Amino acid sequence: MMLDRNIAAEVLARAVKTGGDFAEIFMEDNTSSNMTLKSDRIESLGTAREHGAGIRVFEGTRAIYVYTNDTSREGLMDCAAQAAAAVRSGKGCTPVGFSHWSTARANEIRIQPGDAEAALKAEKLRAANAAARGISPEIVQVTCGYKDVTQDVLICNTEGVFVTDRRVRSRLMVSAVASDGKENQTGSCNPGAGMGFELFDERVDPEACGRLAAEKAVTMLHADSCPAGVYPVVIDGGFGGVIFHEACGHSLEATSVAYGISEFSGKLGQQIAASCVTAVDDGTIPGEWGSTHVDDEGMPTSCLTLIENGILVNYMIDKLGGRRMNMAPTGSGRRESYQWAPTSRMRNTYIAAGPDDEAEMIATMGTGLYAKSMGGGSVNPATGEFNFSVEEGYWVEDGKILRPVRGASLIGKGGEVLMRIDRVGKKMTMAQGMCGSASGSVPVNVGQPMIRVSSMTVGGK
Amino acid sequence: MIRMDEFIDKLLKAAAEAGIEPAEVYCEEKSSFSAEAMDGSIDSYEVSETCGLSLRGMVGGKMGYASTEAFDEDAIRMLIRGVKESAALVETEEQDEIYAGDPAYPELAVPENDLDNVTAEEKLQLALEMEKAAMTADSRIAKSRGSYVTTGKGVVRLVNSYGLNLKTEKPVGGYAVAGIWLVGKDGESASAGGESEARRKFRELDPVRIGKKAAENTAAMLNASPVESGTYRVVIRRDAMRSLLNVFSSIFSAENAQKKLSLLEGREGETIASSCVTLMDDPLLPDGFASAAFDGEGSACRTKAVIENGVLKTLLHSRKTARKAGTVSTGNAKRSVSSPVKVAPTNFFFQPGEKDLDGLLADLGEGLLITEVGGLHAGANPISGDFSLIAKGFRVTGGKQGLPVEQITIAGNFYQMLKDIRAIGSDLEFKSSNIGSPSVDVGNIHVAGK
Repeated sequence: MMLDRNIAAEVLARAVKTGGDFAEIFMEDNTSSNMTLKSDRIESLGTAREHGAGIRVFEGTRAIYVYTNDTSREGLMDCAAQAAAAVRSGKGCTPVGFSHWSTARANEIRIQPGDAEAALKAEKLRAANAAARGISPEIVQVTCGYKDVTQDVLICNTEGVFVTDRRVRSRLMVSAVASDGKENQTGSCNPGAGMGFELFDERVDPEACGRLAAEKAVTMLHADSCPAGVYPVVIDGGFGGVIFHEACGHSLEATSVAYGISEFSGKLGQQIAASCVTAVDDGTIPGEWGSTHVDDEGMPTSCLTLIENGILVNYMIDKLGGRRMNMAPTGSGRRESYQWAPTSRMRNTYIAAGPDDEAEMIATMGTGLYAKSMGGGSVNPATGEFNFSVEEGYWVEDGKILRPVRGASLIGKGGEVLMRIDRVGKKMTMAQGMCGSASGSVPVNVGQPMIRVSSMTVGGK
Repeated sequence: MIRMDEFIDKLLKAAAEAGIEPAEVYCEEKSSFSAEAMDGSIDSYEVSETCGLSLRGMVGGKMGYASTEAFDEDAIRMLIRGVKESAALVETEEQDEIYAGDPAYPELAVPENDLDNVTAEEKLQLALEMEKAAMTADSRIAKSRGSYVTTGKGVVRLVNSYGLNLKTEKPVGGYAVAGIWLVGKDGESASAGGESEARRKFRELDPVRIGKKAAENTAAMLNASPVESGTYRVVIRRDAMRSLLNVFSSIFSAENAQKKLSLLEGREGETIASSCVTLMDDPLLPDGFASAAFDGEGSACRTKAVIENGVLKTLLHSRKTARKAGTVSTGNAKRSVSSPVKVAPTNFFFQPGEKDLDGLLADLGEGLLITEVGGLHAGANPISGDFSLIAKGFRVTGGKQGLPVEQITIAGNFYQMLKDIRAIGSDLEFKSSNIGSPSVDVGNIHVAGK
């Protein structure tokens, strides 16, 4: 994908002609393939190509965004003119000459997804399916999905940025259904990475993934309902990190902080979490699901400590949020595609490892819930109210794990829950998710070691 | 814009030459406008025009799929290669099929609309007025989180090598939506709330009405507190019930039932819900967001009861699932550019009953009114029917709405809830969705609180 630099300069100049003080072109060509196996057979596979561009113009802290599939010179000039027409009385700007750089790194992706034959991808799905079915005759359905994405982007702006990047991601998704004919329960395992087909050589064992999903489903089929009430909760590592993502992460994005909406607005330097909590948002970890070389505003990504020993030290800031907050952007501008204007988003976000012993955490918790595996969640940053679901939970009495429980959810308010974390385990692990917010759905990692919260509202029956 | 007719002709010719026979193109063109005001000025402004196209076709008796948003010679080559690759690996016994079409299609009422002669300036004004009305309605409204207006139109085409050539607006007549999100403050208590309206005619959107209602909704939730954990008698208000029905609508798909992802397989004719429950799928609703004369496979759409007086009358079918079940398509094949044919409801709603919300609460006596549920993408599982969701609402005492409630969860199972329903209200509402519901008295629900 190429955009002639002269055309780019012409389009940007047109975009700021009526007084805009910043303009940007985000151009994208995205090729993806996906495959689904269901009822023991490859059910569908498809390839898709998304292609388009978005032009953004700033007038102070006001943003105008126009996007199209028509990336011809005429198409882009038309978008620029439409954006310019929405500017009211800006102070204008003089575009700076481009300094081009490419972030593409040789040999970073060992096997480009397009170079792996579809038949090989199908084998991975069959392996996961067979392993899941092998767990129990109670497994009545297994859905296995494979998806790869190769996103080429070009970002240029009136500040002289002209950068290209390629993002490659691959993911396996297994969902198993256990049934006794009257009731169904499900289990899933969805590992992915910022990798090509080498994902399956280096990181993901489809059989292990299939077994894990099926074991969860069978365990939950034979589980009782989770008791409802307020209890201590131990949350395991990996996808357990969704608690930080919902309870705190979203409220540290400029998307809500810059507008004074977040409960953590104006709290830099203050304690917002128990002193055992240190939390990081890192977009630079090679090969991780939430990493990119540059963000979707053309700025290199960063490793950002958000909370250090309980003290709030950084927000995640995009360009527009930075203007509102009078602070520098942190390489956190992200978007689902050219169909979305970017805003501040998380990348790979985790609670850092601590000193505590995992067995002791459960042994001394009394009666409560051990949440071994999490589903997704959501938050309202204005009030800090969050919720997330427990995919696999166990009831603990007197510090002993008694029995599996189903249908649990955890709710609370971000600020309160962070202060109630009283144990942080030794081994941090991460897991992959898709995070939906103001700029669409973007890949993120969540992570943590095993932690304990001294009391939380547990939803159940 | 690119001339799609020409591109589609060229693509179908190239597909035939490449041995893809029959072949079909599904194409969506969309345009939208949106603007948001915050703190008294326009904060963001967005305009778009996009087009996506999917090619599917039979190669060696198997169906392949590919899609694109680029419309050049390269795209034609990529689509043909994609369809062939995909057809070569598909293994399912039951194949999708390409359909020559029905002899006749129902006439749709075309709602009157004014979207073509509303200026951008009028839309910006509406967002600003709505924010002003909300911010001045109640002194406890502390902050606007955005007052927005969105309008849009779309055109969908289905063209295949059997000569079928269908085209429709989607939604018919376009749409205009306006809404606002607010933060309320009262001492230490904060609340978040809002209101939105969807109309076909932009000029029927009343900024003052929406703004005031948003302020009222937000202020009502101030100083909310949890109730004791336990079992409560519950009415779920129409907006929260619509969210629940939306998540669990997939259990009525024959495709999911045939694949053991719904517990309703083979249960047509059985009583699966309380006798007061009638659940409709009506693609011919005059103002519906999913109203259509034909579905994603070119079958004629028709109105049917899915549940009638508690009895499951039919599941929703595409041609493939109908063939497997030995019946005919219900006209519920759903297309999108980037995925294969699926089964989905059109305008889907509980048939309204006699009593309004006040009437339902009067009959309830003591319990809870749930007005909002959250975290549905994770806390509600359509395969098991289980849900465990964060919720808000009000205490109900003496048959009347009382003090606000937050930080609780409601837990249950949708299949069981259908059987436990005691009454369905008269206040059916869709807003900007194809799923609609009145308020519903759902019997007893487990609540986690303090």
